Amino acid sequence: MEAADLELRNLTYHLFVELGRAPTVEEVAARSGATSEAVRSGWSRLHEAHALVLAPTGELRMANPFSAVPTAHRVRIADRSWYANCAWDAFGVCASLHADGTIETSCPDCGEPIVVEVRDGKPDDETLVFHSVVPATQWWDDIVFT
Amino acid sequence: MNLFRSEEHVRRRHSEHPAGATIGVVQLAELARAWWGDRVAPDWQPHTREQNQAILDAVGLSGQFWRLP
Repeated sequence: MEAADLELRNLTYHLFVELGRAPTVEEVAARSGATSEAVRSGWSRLHEAHALVLAPTGELRMANPFSAVPTAHRVRIADRSWYANCAWDAFGVCASLHADGTIETSCPDCGEPIVVEVRDGKPDDETLVFHSVVPATQWWDDIVFT
Repeated sequence: MNLFRSEEHVRRRHSEHPAGATIGVVQLAELARAWWGDRVAPDWQPHTREQNQAILDAVGLSGQFWRLP
């Protein structure tokens, strides 16, 4: 990965954390001093490198573990919150920010809400289980489905 | 990739398509710490396939299901 793309990637993540949502092309361009076209081109290369995921519109869809769109996995840390792409990513939000937090999701079987407090990286309810349908060989075949 | 109340809930939900893997939430949290811990670090570098496989192996996810391409 080229240094400029790495810098763009890190700025994108920084803004995602700072804003509590996905930054737009224009916001990244304004912060970096680059043109919007340069940001779009860089994001495209980062998408190909699996360093982030773009929507068909060219806007951010994922900066894993963060989701640019609302999902069934919400993470609250202090007075802020982010959406995660899946349950694994929900724990990943706390892990990436090195912070305690609260994961709010629901059981896909019974629909009951699941609220997990994460303290020092560990869940307060150890009875829950995590299920993945897609094997690792196929995760990036359709990362949004995965 | 979801959290379920229990393995019974997983079996009920996926009874028609029983493929997949189920692990405990403690193991998931351990995996998340290792996998995502550096993701917003200012000196972040892309993980290699070998680094990611080592993380999976280190938390005990070493079966074929967890084998990266």
